[in-house]
Amino acid sequence: MKTSRESYVRIKRMTPFMRVNHWVVAISMIGAIATGLYIGHPYYQTFIAEPAVDKYVMAWNRWVHFILAIIFDVSSIVLAYLYFFSRFEKPYKKLIPNSKNIKEFIEVVKNLLTFNRVKRFDSSHADSFHVVYFTIFHLMLAWMLLTGLQLYVHGLASGESSIGRWWPWMLHLVTDWTIAATGGTLMDVRISHHMTMYFIIVWIMFHIYYVVWRTIFWREGDISIVFGGYKFKRKRTA
Amino acid sequence: MNREHLRGLFSAKSARVNTNKGEEYYNSLYKRCKDRLEELKKLKPVNNVDIMEVLEDEGINRRDFLKWASAMTATLMLPASFTPLVAEAAEVMNRVPVIWIELQDCAGNSEALLRSDGPKVDEIILDIISLEFHETLMAAAGHQAEEQLEDAMHHFKGKYLLFVEGAIPLANGGVYGTIGASGETFEEHLHRVAKDAAAIVAVGTCATFGGVPAAAPNPTGAVGVMDIVKGKPIVNIPACPANPANMVGVILHYVLTGQIPELDSLLRPKFAFGYRIHDNCERRAHFDAGEFVEEWGDVGAENNFCLYKVGCKGPMTFNNCSIIRYNEAVNWPIGAGHGCIGCSEPDFWDKYAYERPMADANIKAPTGGVEKTVDEFGLGLLTAAAVGIGIHAAFSAVAGKKETCDIEEGDK
Repeated sequence: MKTSRESYVRIKRMTPFMRVNHWVVAISMIGAIATGLYIGHPYYQTFIAEPAVDKYVMAWNRWVHFILAIIFDVSSIVLAYLYFFSRFEKPYKKLIPNSKNIKEFIEVVKNLLTFNRVKRFDSSHADSFHVVYFTIFHLMLAWMLLTGLQLYVHGLASGESSIGRWWPWMLHLVTDWTIAATGGTLMDVRISHHMTMYFIIVWIMFHIYYVVWRTIFWREGDISIVFGGYKFKRKRTA
Repeated sequence: MNREHLRGLFSAKSARVNTNKGEEYYNSLYKRCKDRLEELKKLKPVNNVDIMEVLEDEGINRRDFLKWASAMTATLMLPASFTPLVAEAAEVMNRVPVIWIELQDCAGNSEALLRSDGPKVDEIILDIISLEFHETLMAAAGHQAEEQLEDAMHHFKGKYLLFVEGAIPLANGGVYGTIGASGETFEEHLHRVAKDAAAIVAVGTCATFGGVPAAAPNPTGAVGVMDIVKGKPIVNIPACPANPANMVGVILHYVLTGQIPELDSLLRPKFAFGYRIHDNCERRAHFDAGEFVEEWGDVGAENNFCLYKVGCKGPMTFNNCSIIRYNEAVNWPIGAGHGCIGCSEPDFWDKYAYERPMADANIKAPTGGVEKTVDEFGLGLLTAAAVGIGIHAAFSAVAGKKETCDIEEGDK
């Protein structure tokens, strides 16, 4: 495609840490969905002839689910910090609903709905639509974290845990409100936790589609951001 | 929902089950209980029944009684040194008058303690407590019965324990449940009798959370006692039916200490509802191993595998039936091969008792209409998203504009 009149400017979009974080989250997501679906409805059977002590299938599924949750939680907390204090890009600046961001948001949506026939914004850096979309994702993750920990703390009914009393105490303090918020029973928390998974999958579907779509139609190599860290913008050299 | 006690969003303080409060605490409690029992012994018994005589008539000797007393001490989460006090308390239980009213219910809780085949100590003790008024059991009827209630309320003003069985219908001014010749609604009845009670014990899930009468669409507007009675100590003993051992436990605790037991955020005594069924279940190892009953009567069922896949709600239900069981520890639902239906949790009929894992159960939409499983709804959502993406992709391919070299205009 490169003609003699054009050259490309390389624009850094993700630091190595951001990319590692992205793939850790992506892999955790797949694992959490696979194990979470098993916990909700065990969809494969264990070999019935083997003694229980050799199997431990549900327990391993739960263990993996919890470990992935912890990885998620840590990554989310780090990302929440980076929203405000990143030395690279501070995403919160694009969240502030000022006229510039609202205009940009509408323009990006227009670009999507007109199949790239209208494109009136700077696509080289993270736009406000992009940041809002990712913020929705992190809010859903936070909701999964809170409802998940609420379901988890039911097993610590004695108020004791291997790392001390502060842990179940803190979990109750931070997550008990999700019972009231979802409808008043422990089961409502479960229903909400399960339902939110589907909203997250829908989020992922659009996320992947949109990245591929941008790569094809914008022709700025958007999909390489998450692998190499850079995208490219044409520069007319005339 | 919107229950006052759930609105206290931060219930962290009440969540812990403290089974060891230290020697100092128990020493002072022991002394307090001892003094109280001395006081009670001085009172004239309300009825002239000698519990030891009755027990002997039923074929239960002193040794059995003391075994029961030590089990009850453990149930109440008290140290073993309290056993003699618990036995003494059982002997003076007829000094505490009880009024039992029955509202919108099936009388299942009364049945639970009356109809047992070969009554055990729990049932016998409940039988001989000073039951001043119990519509289902008493011989009197009509005006005579009402008079008896008036008498009891007047005579034991501020002293009686009020046991409430059944939900309270509030729809259409409460016409769905009236009592007596005056056509008093259940709500008025409850308020009148509750006014002078020392404490209220809501027995069974109907009286605690509305239970089965309050199940969707709740035509009678049924609610639990704690939803309408304010400013009184209330103890909830949910379950369908409530376990007689827990009823006796609450009365014993009151007789022993003069106070109601420590409660959780749903006003359930922690000694009975502090632990999750799942964590004390005899089939728990099969859960962890992934060994499930796939359908009734299969090889898994023959091997006592976990009942999670046929709808057991033990993982979300707090109750002590996996420990103390029913009918003096003879058996309990999971022991008999059926999963827990969560009968001691709020809204259990709509949200727990559907005989399959939550993921497979039809859930009412928040609008009240469509019933779909979460997975069906989720797959619908995914399909809609896939269709939307497909349409967008197709239009993009046909009508989309791929970037040429000129993007400078976008920067203005």
